[in-house]
Parts: sequence; C-alpha cells; structure tokens
Amino acid sequence: MSFLKQWLQGPMGALVYKESLEAWRDKRALLTAVTFALLFPVMITGTTVFVFKVKSENESRVALLGGEQVPLLAQRLAGDQLRVDVLQEGEPSALLAGEYDLVLQVGEDFVSQYREFGVPRLYVYMDGASKDASRARRQLQERLAPLQQQIVQQRAIARGVAPQLLAPWRLEVRDISTPSDRGKLILASVPALLIMTLFVASLATAVDASAGERERLSLENLLMQPLPPWQVVLAKTVAVASMGWLGGVLSVCALTALMPVMPLEELGMHQASSLSGVVTMGLLLMPLALLVAVVQLLLALGSKSFKDAQMRLSILQVAPLFMLMALDMSQVQLDKPIWQLLPLVGQQQWLKALLVGDVVSLPMVLAGSVVSLLLVAVFVLIGARALRRESLLGAT
Amino acid sequence: MAKELARGRVVAVACPLFIVLLALLSYSGAINAEDLAAETCHLEGWSQPLRCYQVPVGGADQSQNLAVAVAPAVNPDGSEPLYLLAGGPGQAASHLAPLLPSLAKVNRNRDIVMVDRRGSGRTGAFECGIEDELPPDLDAFAGLVSDCYDQQRQRTEGLNSRQTVDDLEQVRVSLGHEKIALWGGSWGTRTALLYQQWYPQSISALVLDAVAPIEAKVFLSAQAAEQALQQLQDACMEDKSCAGLGDWRGDLDRLLNEWETGESRLADPLTGAPMPRRVPRWELANAVRTALYDPGAAAQLPYVIHQAARGNLLPLSGLSSLFLPASDTMSMGLTFSVACAEELNRTSAEEVAADSRDTFLGTGFIDIFRTACGVWPVQERSYPEPERREHPVLLISGSADPITPPEYADTRLDYLSHKQHLVVDGGGHINTRRGCIPELIASFLDAPEQPLDSACVKDIRRPPFMADAFGPALDAEPLAEVGEVAQ
Repeated sequence: MSFLKQWLQGPMGALVYKESLEAWRDKRALLTAVTFALLFPVMITGTTVFVFKVKSENESRVALLGGEQVPLLAQRLAGDQLRVDVLQEGEPSALLAGEYDLVLQVGEDFVSQYREFGVPRLYVYMDGASKDASRARRQLQERLAPLQQQIVQQRAIARGVAPQLLAPWRLEVRDISTPSDRGKLILASVPALLIMTLFVASLATAVDASAGERERLSLENLLMQPLPPWQVVLAKTVAVASMGWLGGVLSVCALTALMPVMPLEELGMHQASSLSGVVTMGLLLMPLALLVAVVQLLLALGSKSFKDAQMRLSILQVAPLFMLMALDMSQVQLDKPIWQLLPLVGQQQWLKALLVGDVVSLPMVLAGSVVSLLLVAVFVLIGARALRRESLLGAT
Repeated sequence: MAKELARGRVVAVACPLFIVLLALLSYSGAINAEDLAAETCHLEGWSQPLRCYQVPVGGADQSQNLAVAVAPAVNPDGSEPLYLLAGGPGQAASHLAPLLPSLAKVNRNRDIVMVDRRGSGRTGAFECGIEDELPPDLDAFAGLVSDCYDQQRQRTEGLNSRQTVDDLEQVRVSLGHEKIALWGGSWGTRTALLYQQWYPQSISALVLDAVAPIEAKVFLSAQAAEQALQQLQDACMEDKSCAGLGDWRGDLDRLLNEWETGESRLADPLTGAPMPRRVPRWELANAVRTALYDPGAAAQLPYVIHQAARGNLLPLSGLSSLFLPASDTMSMGLTFSVACAEELNRTSAEEVAADSRDTFLGTGFIDIFRTACGVWPVQERSYPEPERREHPVLLISGSADPITPPEYADTRLDYLSHKQHLVVDGGGHINTRRGCIPELIASFLDAPEQPLDSACVKDIRRPPFMADAFGPALDAEPLAEVGEVAQ
C-alpha cells in the first residue's frame, strides 16, 4: 500500500493528475458522456411504460352495427377497456376514420340463423395500419370467447352431452422460468448498452488524449520527460477510463432510479434495484472501463490523423454491441462459467444477473476482472512500445 | 500541495473500492441463498413454478409432514404472505391453485401459501372410494362409509379444526413468516375464523369468501338453497327469454314429487348410454342444489327443469356432467371426520325439520351426512365462544349462495369490529374470481384499514339464461343487475 502511495505521489501521480485534469476540463466530452449515459435509460423506461400502457390500459371503442338485433351480445361485449356503441347504420370505413378502433357488423338474418343452428356471421372491420386496431381486436376476442363458450356449453347440455367431450384434453402450461429469468429476457439489451456507454462516454477523451495531443505537438514534450512510456500510457488510460466509467455509473444509477416507474411486476419480473446493486455494478465496470480506454488510446495513437482516430473509435463503439447481440442470438451457451473470463462477455453476464437480483459468483468475477486487468497491462506495454517509434509522432 | 492532496485521494478511493466490491458480492450471495428444503413444483391450474416443502408438524405422537406449496412473490416487499384455506371440509389447499391467476396482483408482492391439511391432497388424501360415484341408495352409502371407517379408523384421530389450526401455526413459524393474511373459502372461512380466535397475534388481515361463521350450522342448508332458487326465479321472471319458460319452479316441485314413482332414467352424459341405476330423489334435489353454487350452471336450471318436466331428460343428464368427479374431489374421510365431530354433533332433529320445511331440497343434503355420521363415531368437538377481534376483515358473499348466504356474514360476526362486506348480486358460492373482486382483494390487503370503493361489484352480472336448445337468446333484453356493499 505504501509503495502505491509513494508511486502516486511521485511523477506518475503528477502525470495522472495532468491527464485527468485535461480530460475533465473538456466540457464537450463531459456533455457527450452524460447525455448518452442518461438518454438510453430514459428511452428504455419510456418504451416499456408506453408499450404496457397501450397494451393494458387504453380503452378501445367499438361500433356495433346492427347491434339493436342482439342487445344481449352488446351488453356482454361492453365493459372495462371496451366501449361499445350500438349503431343502426353507418359506413365501416367512415366510422374507422372517425373515433372507432373497430367496427363489428352483425350479419343479415343473424338472429334467425342463430336460433336455427346456422352459422351466422359477425364481420369485424378494422384498419390494419392503425396501431390501436390489433389491441381492439384482441379485446373484442377476449369478450367474445367466454360468451361463445357459454353458448357451446348450453347447447351441449341441452342435448345431454357433457361439455368436456368437446375438449379432448386440457393443455396445462408449465413455465419453468423465474421472475429473474423473465427479467433477463426483458432487459436483455441493457447490459450491452451499459457496456456501450463506456465506449461512447470515453471516445472524445481518448481521441483528445492521443491524436489530439499529437496534433497539438505536446505529445513529444511529454515523451521527453524522464518517465518510462508505459507510465504515460497508463496515466492516459486512467484519465480516459474515468470518463467512460462516469458514463457507465451514471447509466446504472439512472436505470435503477427509473426502474420503479417501469411496469416490471406486471410483466412478471423481479424488481431488484438497490443501492448495493448500483455500487456492485459500478465496481464491476471499472476493469472494463480501463480496458476500453487503453484499446481506444492504442487505436487512436495508431491512426493517421485526428479524423481518422474519430472514425476508428466510432466503429469501435458499436462493435461490442453487435458482438454481444450476436453471441446472445447464437446457440452459444453463455451461461458456462468459462465465458465469464472473457472481457465484455463476463461483464455482460454479471450485469444481466445483477439487474434482476440474481447471484454472481465472486471467484468468477474476480477471475474475469483479473483477466481484463491483465489485458490492460498487455495493451499498456504494447502502447509503450508504439510510443518509442518516431513515426508515431510524425503522423498527422 | 493541491496536487499531493489529489493524489492522496486517488489512493484513498481506489483501495476501499476493491474491498467494497468483495463485500457487496459476498452480501448479495448471502441474501439470495436458496432454501435447500424447497423443491420446484407445479400444480394444475397455474403455469408458474412453485416452491414445494414438506413441513413437519405435530408432537411426537401425531407428527406428520404437510405438503406446502408457495407461489413466490414476483417482487417481495416484506408484505405478509397470503395463506389460502380450502373448503369442504375435505378439499386440499393445493386444489385452489386455479385461483392464482385471479390473485396475480396479490402475488406481485406477497407469497401465496397453500397448505394441504392432514387427510387432504398431497399430504395424504383420506378417501373412502365414494368420491368418484355415489352408491344407489343411502343404505349402500352407509355400508361403504362404515367399511371406510373400520379400515382407516386410526386416521380419523387428529382430523379436526383445532389440529388444523395448530398445524398451520407451525407451518407459519417454520416458513419464517412473522404475520400472515388469510384467505378462506367456504369451510376455509371457518378455519380462518378459528385461527383468528386461537392465534390472533399471527394474523394481519382476513379475506373470507362464502362465510361459514363459527356458530353457524352450515350443513342446515335447505332454506339457503331455497332462497337461492327463489332469487333465480325472480331473475328469470325479469328476463324476457327465461320468463317464457313459464312456471319452471312448479315444474320442479312436480318433478321431485313424482320422481320416485316414475321409471325415468338419465343417460350417461359422457357415453350417451342409459345409466345403469336409477337416480334417487335426494340425488336429483342435490343436483339442483349443486347447480346453484355456480351462476353459470344455475342459468341453465330453468330450461333444464322445464324440459325434464315435459319428459326430455337429456338436458338434466347434460347438466349433471358439470358435477362429474374431478381431480379436486373432496377427501370424504376428512370431510366426515370434521363434519361429524364439529357440525352434525350440534345439529338437532328439530333444527333439521325446521330447516327443511317447505323447501325443494328437504333433508336431501343433510341426510347424506346424518347417514355417514351414524357410522363414523368420532369424538365430538365444540368451539369456544368467539371473542372480539380487531383484525381488518373483508367478507365476500353471493346473494344467491345456496349454502352460505350473505345473512351469515351480516348477522353472525358482530365480534369482528373492522369488517367490510361485498355482496355479489346473483352470485353463488365463492366469488373471488368474478369481475373486480380480485382487484378489491388486492386493494384490501394493501390497505386493509381503508374502506373499499366497491362500486364495480354491481357490474358483476349473472350469466345469460338458457332460453332454448340454441342457448341464450341474444336478441332478448338483458338483465340489469345491482350489487351492494355494507360496512
């Protein structure tokens, strides 16, 4: 501990301080990090709430054309979330263009055909391009189904037939998922987005600390200081990672704060947000933030110009998202412990578990984090070797 | 100086962070540790996985493992779990799993617990071989029940409400629940009310559907069934299509009076073949009584009786199919053990005569139990006088319940000081799944002291009457129905 203290109080500490100061003074980079970090949790919350509200709470309006012939049908259809207006006449397309989500037209001779055991028709007019039409149709079918069942049961009983003969079996669904499993499905994209936040939030700082510094011609001065190059790379990595990590932690905080707003219980999902969860997720992101930072720095240092660096890192920021999505969609069983040693995949699995209140294995987290930190060390050394090349300084 | 301070802060922050990570991960592992005694299981009528336990209860002489199923809360927030107490007596709590979809809102933040009491369900159903098919007459019935008693006499010991409540209390402690809320249905309300008397400190609130108060003699049900039939008749008169069936109530009386003298045989609703035995009058009267439990079946009674009185017994055969034995049949050994010791023992012949007078059911229902209890000699058990209790209680009744009418909840529970009563107009026996009742139960459990806004109860309608062989008359003006709430 005292060695680390001495080390940080020496030239290395000064270097880290200088790099951090430059990184955090850049208001544009800070704004980018904060904006993205807050934007995606808000969007996820908004989408979830909107979808649920539309699905479950909006009232549908149905025009029942010819409903005066079948007042019992009209009464049984109407109720919570389904408003039924009985109309003697009207043009379905005009009604749909107006205030109705659905038009149900009672067929000709409906009553006489019904009483004579014919197959009378009910016509459903809907605008398939309307976002409310499918919801209204589902609600209508949900109301019609029990009435239909009652009628079938009464007709069977009238003939001395047990209604159960009409159903040769009953399908009993046995769902083996737990609320946290369902949560993982619903929040499947969130860990990848959290990881992407690290990339987005540290992008501007990484470019500025490498290609930017080179263009400002201050990198040469830095390398002339009596410091080994690996310390230069490490100091820059820490500064860049701090910005990415800020973004990641902000996202986690925002997501946790917004979780109570989401209708997670209604979706059968466990709500597991807690302060300890936030802190744990924040700490888990730290080694990954360092790894992302050093990779970004290396790519930017190897670029030919500032613009080239921006382009490279822009591509890099979406790469993990695609990779994680591809892995999720593939047949690869990511739940095997060995996958947790792989950076990005490990963090994705841990975040996924922690978001829904599941347990993560402490030894695996430590092992996975150590792998990430080892990679950071390797990349720092590679960066140090690159800094020794004079051509690097000449790139524009 | 400032730089040194900043560097110092980096060290001060970095080291503890790693320690915090270790602590948090260890902590999260500890609070999520699974109870090794629980197994994942499923019950019919509910698709989600449950936690199943075998919980040991009783002392050394009467120890037993009870089968307990827990529907875990989606998002537990520390709210008391809800224990479901089944009816009968003889029904298993695990057979109440089909209620769980209706109680999904309750289950969001509370565990729902189903304990199969001794002699029921997965704890070890006490069956007598009469659950699937009734014998042709009461003498044969008595013979079968007597054989059952002789063969399993030792099982009758310990099957009583006191033992059940003590067992439930032990389960509560074993599962680590500090306080619990109770939902009781039918006889389960009796168990809940006794639990409230004997372990008031363990209970937070009660929801009682189809209330069987401690002092009520619920097996005297002929008058209640008559009232339910009368309500059905009134509702039918208001419905144009049903009113067209004429005096079906008079038809029923004639049918019952002439049943024994006729040669009519019902057809088997499953095979269509004539039934091998004649259905006795008491069984016919009980079929009508049973149909009144469910408003959907009751809505078919006027047509079915109208047709039967005119010689067409097919609808009557069809209606009987609704009461065919199912997997959730009562365990009759348990039923007789409790009913004979706690109900029939305190029911006098005079009370039976008064209850059955001028009713379609007569002694048709209670005769079954009087016959069985005659050959089921168990020790009589009495309940203490109920004492005043302050727990919030939600009472639910169907106005046309043929066995636990709303009057029971209105007049026999004066010792409960915080009660609300929902009455479903035209409702039968058990209304928890109907209309907005599940929502009201959830609201009550979340804020049991608050009066419920129960206006939505009036929207619960009787199912449409069967008007003819085509089913309900869709072209007839429907009934308008009104519910009520009493404090």
